[in-house]
Amino acid sequence: MTTIRLSRLILALAALVATAAAATAGPAQFVIVNVNAPNVGFNDPTPAAPVGGNAGTTLGQQRLIAFEHAAAIWSARLDSAVPIRIRAQFTPLAAGVLGSAGTTAVAANFLNAPLQNTGYHIALANKLAGLDLAPTIDDINANFSTNFTFYLGLDNNHGPLPDLVTVLLHEFAHGLGFSQFASLTSGALFGGRADVYNTRLFDAQQGLFWPQMTNAQRVTSATTFGRVVLDFPRVTADVPKVLVLGSPTVQADAPAAIAGPFQFGTAAFGPLIGNPTVSASVVAAVDAIETIGGVTGTTTDGCSPFANAAAVAGKIALVERGLCGFALKARNASAAGAAAVVIYNNVANVNAAPPGMADDGVNGAFVTIPAVSLRRADGLSIAAATAPSMTLGIDPTVRAGADALNRARVFAPFPVQGGSSISHYDTVAFHNLLMEPAINGDLTHKVKAPDDLTLELLLDEGWTSPDADGDGFADDEDCNPNSDTRKTIIIGDNDSGVPNTLFGTGCTSSDLIAQIKAGAANHGGFVSGVAQLTNAWVASNIISGRQKGAVQSAAARSGF
Amino acid sequence: MRMHRVRKRLRILLGAAAAVSMAIVALAGTTGAAAPSDVADQAKAKHYKGTRAYVVDKETGAVRMPTQQEVDEVVANLSAFGQRPTDSLQESTHATGAVVVDLDGGFNGVMLARPNADGTWETKCVFTLEEGAEFLGLVEDDSIR
Repeated sequence: MTTIRLSRLILALAALVATAAAATAGPAQFVIVNVNAPNVGFNDPTPAAPVGGNAGTTLGQQRLIAFEHAAAIWSARLDSAVPIRIRAQFTPLAAGVLGSAGTTAVAANFLNAPLQNTGYHIALANKLAGLDLAPTIDDINANFSTNFTFYLGLDNNHGPLPDLVTVLLHEFAHGLGFSQFASLTSGALFGGRADVYNTRLFDAQQGLFWPQMTNAQRVTSATTFGRVVLDFPRVTADVPKVLVLGSPTVQADAPAAIAGPFQFGTAAFGPLIGNPTVSASVVAAVDAIETIGGVTGTTTDGCSPFANAAAVAGKIALVERGLCGFALKARNASAAGAAAVVIYNNVANVNAAPPGMADDGVNGAFVTIPAVSLRRADGLSIAAATAPSMTLGIDPTVRAGADALNRARVFAPFPVQGGSSISHYDTVAFHNLLMEPAINGDLTHKVKAPDDLTLELLLDEGWTSPDADGDGFADDEDCNPNSDTRKTIIIGDNDSGVPNTLFGTGCTSSDLIAQIKAGAANHGGFVSGVAQLTNAWVASNIISGRQKGAVQSAAARSGF
Repeated sequence: MRMHRVRKRLRILLGAAAAVSMAIVALAGTTGAAAPSDVADQAKAKHYKGTRAYVVDKETGAVRMPTQQEVDEVVANLSAFGQRPTDSLQESTHATGAVVVDLDGGFNGVMLARPNADGTWETKCVFTLEEGAEFLGLVEDDSIR
């Protein structure tokens, strides 16, 4: 009996804490917990010239300022009464490794959990619970490399260097909720529970959400290119604001044995797929065998001018990956007069997914035709077919990176890409999104529509945006984050008795009157401005003529 | 005055509740529930070798193949950050019913980069050793097993 009473007391007190915390929630406080030793990482005293708005004068200061800047971007858009602690450090990581980050823990069945028996990233769980569920550990781990030269400015003017702020925005988003935890190799749910991300993962081919699937079905789903989507309402609502119409498609038209759609990768150079649509025969390119960097190529790698340019002209050139960069192959295909180029994986990438093809900064500018990459098996099947033909086009009714219902596609290549499959938006998204697997150079520091869809997903998972005046408009979208939300229009001490309307911008009637007051040179100007405003409201049927008189009278008596 | 008293009582209650909450976590028992299996053999000793140049030499600034030591360092980093432990995670159940699983530093996204010819970088966020190795052109080396 005592135990039961104690439990009830605990629950009641916890609820009280949560309720009080929720009532006082505001922009989430991100705490960068610097765990570097003196003179290392964030504490590196090496002098540094201020760059791109980063006023730090040492390398360590600039790293910390960049961290704080990325955290501030999320802080302005997420609210929580519980500070979000990022355990952060810079250490000497291996060449090629920029850094890592992720949530430190997963929580379920906590107070106020929207979904029971569902895993939540600990920072989100804390926010929803209104208390720190795991106070002995920080919420996000972040470890970045001292061996890599990042752009440390805050203005995104990163030139050729990876922009640290953008990388941090991406990795922090994973830690805040943009990732799922089910195994992609066994299909098992993490701890036997769905998580807040994969709860809304929908496989359009199977017609099932991930928690509804068997383990085997989840494994299959993880490699179902183009058919796995996130069925989150805010994301779906904002897809039309972000992703362009025209979903790229690549398919074999003939012979019948290979006809059908292919999984493909896109290029960062040349025209977009479908610009124009190309339907043509496929001809395997033949070029000289050359040696680059001590490695000898093949006649199929397209690394030198095509020997069969006449045969390729006007057709779709088929080229094998390897030896040289994608952009050079595509440049050679362009020079041969091909209508498009298809580059399929070589032996070294026999089981790899079709890659996204980066520009080398030299040859991409000379590529005038669409280019796509294919799996090796698909490339070989085309090469072996008799009189193959293909179409590289777009579905003009579907947005690039979404399905026909505007649900955002997730990255689901075959073969599966460890943990990054499913936990990113699809690489075919255009324009590019922060949460694609690669950090594309054209990303901004903006995390929501019309530039991005990351914030929308976090909000769908249970995060909320700071709303200081509680008017339902997030502060960063509110024309006045601290609106006068009193029920009636009160000017000075004069209550007009007229309802104070909340407009679609987040401003109220009283806010607009206050703006007139701020801009008026004298009382006469103020009264005149209020008259114009209220006349417009009458014309728009927002208030009646009698109410207009009441507001104008209150303005006249206000003495402003 | 009455409002002041109410606020004072609320502060006391909040303080007590916070203290209890801390105690809940501090006293939370561990059930020992294991996380599910994933790339189970990731932590096993695998030997890799480099097949593509991605290291910018600090001395010359030129892009070169990784040394074996550099390959081993990448593998070590990816193994540590991207680990998805199968049986070592502890699940704590609080008195409130909340369940918290400490991921023990694993399940992290790892951002990799390889240089392009023009000095720009191609990046990719990976979660496992295998996909990181593929991005950097590392292949398993059976000859030194």
